Amino acid sequence: MNIVARRPWAAIVVAAVAAIAMVTACGSQPSAKKPTPKPSPTINDQVGNPASSVTLSEAGSSLVEPYLAALAPQLTSAYSNITLTPSAGGSGVGISDAATNLIDLGGSDAYLSDSEMTQYPGLMNIPIAISAQEIAYNLPGVSDLKLSGNILAEIYQGKITKWNDPAIAKLNSGVNLPSATIVPIRRVDSSGDTFIFSSFLSATNSAWNNGPAFGTTVTWPAVTGELTATGNPGMVQAAHATPDSIAYIGISVKSSIQSAGLGIAELQNKAGKFVSASQATITSAVTNSAQDIPSNLAQSLIYEPGAQSYPIVNYEYMMVQKQQKDANTALAIRTFLTWAVDSSGGANATNLASVNFIALPSNVLLKIKPAIGSITSGS
Amino acid sequence: MTLRWVSLVAALLPILLLCVIVGTMVASAKAAVIYAGLHLFTGAIFTFGNLYGGSPSVHNGVTAPHNAQYGAATLLVGTLLTSVIALAIALPVAVGGVLMLTERIPPRLQNGFSVFLELLAGIPSVVYGIWGVLILGPFFALHFFPALANSLGRIPFLTWFRPPVGAGEGLLTAGLVLSVMVIPIIAATTRDLLRSVPVLHKEGALALGMTPFEVVRVVTLPFVRNGILAAALLGWARALGETMAVLLISGNALNQFPQSIYSPVGTIAATIAATLDGALTDGTGMAVSALGALALVLLLVTLLTNWAGRMIVRRSSGAALPVGRGF
Repeated sequence: MNIVARRPWAAIVVAAVAAIAMVTACGSQPSAKKPTPKPSPTINDQVGNPASSVTLSEAGSSLVEPYLAALAPQLTSAYSNITLTPSAGGSGVGISDAATNLIDLGGSDAYLSDSEMTQYPGLMNIPIAISAQEIAYNLPGVSDLKLSGNILAEIYQGKITKWNDPAIAKLNSGVNLPSATIVPIRRVDSSGDTFIFSSFLSATNSAWNNGPAFGTTVTWPAVTGELTATGNPGMVQAAHATPDSIAYIGISVKSSIQSAGLGIAELQNKAGKFVSASQATITSAVTNSAQDIPSNLAQSLIYEPGAQSYPIVNYEYMMVQKQQKDANTALAIRTFLTWAVDSSGGANATNLASVNFIALPSNVLLKIKPAIGSITSGS
Repeated sequence: MTLRWVSLVAALLPILLLCVIVGTMVASAKAAVIYAGLHLFTGAIFTFGNLYGGSPSVHNGVTAPHNAQYGAATLLVGTLLTSVIALAIALPVAVGGVLMLTERIPPRLQNGFSVFLELLAGIPSVVYGIWGVLILGPFFALHFFPALANSLGRIPFLTWFRPPVGAGEGLLTAGLVLSVMVIPIIAATTRDLLRSVPVLHKEGALALGMTPFEVVRVVTLPFVRNGILAAALLGWARALGETMAVLLISGNALNQFPQSIYSPVGTIAATIAATLDGALTDGTGMAVSALGALALVLLLVTLLTNWAGRMIVRRSSGAALPVGRGF
């Protein structure tokens, strides 16, 4: 008291030093608490309504969030003691919050990288649905356009700048291409759509693969006149407002791409055929890759073989910890995931159609069952 | 007695908060700062690297994802250029406008105008941003920029005004929208300053036969000059740190220096906001650390500009600053 009254500076200095000491102490601790990995997981196939009510918090991908929001009330009516609370925030939030146990489930358009698998050994990525991406264009007078990943990579590197470039004209004989300058539009926010689009460019163009490569945020080459947008709705708006533009847009907003009057390009697949995104072409890509799905379930579905296969396809993932805090929560998560991929449960045609997702084919379902069964409370 | 303790806590809180914020930021940025070294300020490439493949890159004993580079030079340039353009436009407009308002317009109208000024200052920045994207940007790209390129761009040496004019997202658009956000800050402060000029001085000058604008030049402006500089510093700080509007209209170029006044640019604040989610997918934690380092650079720039401005004011006279004295 006296010190305070007589020497206010002393108190201030003491407080400041204390604060810095506190902060330094915090900073020196490891940033993420790693749950101890269980070497021999006990498989538990049991599902059902938990004995007491469990709330499963979810955050992450803004593509998955509307799907889960549709699923949530149906889940509770099927299992009265399970409540799912989905929220968005981005795939990065989904992965890191699930890794640090802030949430029970994290939604992500991207699978875990090797470094994340090493950093968070207890974290699993489990596919719950399949999504795809379309290339939209705003070219008045052109209703039919064929493109390849290689051409897209050259456009986004500024190597192809005109719509009537010989490389584009070669794929589109008979189409009256304008001499206008191409306006490439890209996402400014970190995004699963950027992840799968840049994966496609990396798979089809070596300069891209050795340069920007792929990720939810990539180092975009400078292209004169390019535009940026935020979110899929932002991409649709920007493409709609800008003649001669091109944009990569998630299939979940297909209806707004169409109502904006944008064209959707046919893309060249690995077999050299030009395909549009449809239930058949997307499923073909997944089925062709399913036998190679690794046990950690982290798999790219980009540029898969098969004459029918659409080239830009991805799993929508749920990030979840193998080891849960109690048996009830583990049961609730197993039950939710099993129900969510079941075609008579969450993955029914109406739910999937509402966001243009595709159900997991049966050979993939077989592979993810053991992963779901490995979610236990441990001991 | 109680009041004394409450005030003490209140007085300590800002200091505590500042220490905690700076301390946590330094702690989280440490790894990336060591990894990048001086490259943080001089390097033109800012990339989280390939998170999905390649061998890890090691610099100065710190390991980061393959090919990760944390150079903030282009972002630093973008941040400074957009804010300086904003200030260069906002300062004369705000001061000139307020002079006209306080010296020549009847007091009754002044009050009405003041309300608008304060409303303008209170508009959330995202509103300015969306207005920039939907209306200003396209208008600039189609009409204003081509006209600018055809007039100023034809003058020798003014290569920065030459085409291509781009699609309306870039340096000048960002600078102009920022200036609209900065004008009310400078104008409101300047208005209050002008009201503090003693009436006797002005009346004396008028009695000597000066015209109203001579009075402004000889009496009013010298009286408030330091205050206006301080107001400009406040506005500059706002422009440096503005995130949302710039995110929407700057074009968010990464890893390129602007080639012309129309080029897309990236700023530190907007880049942090845009790439945080992607940074969270880096399992090594280096990407988040790199964004922490960017935040530190921004903090440093803000402090430096503030300090430099203060030095200018102090050199021009010893008078106290009416505003912006904090820190």
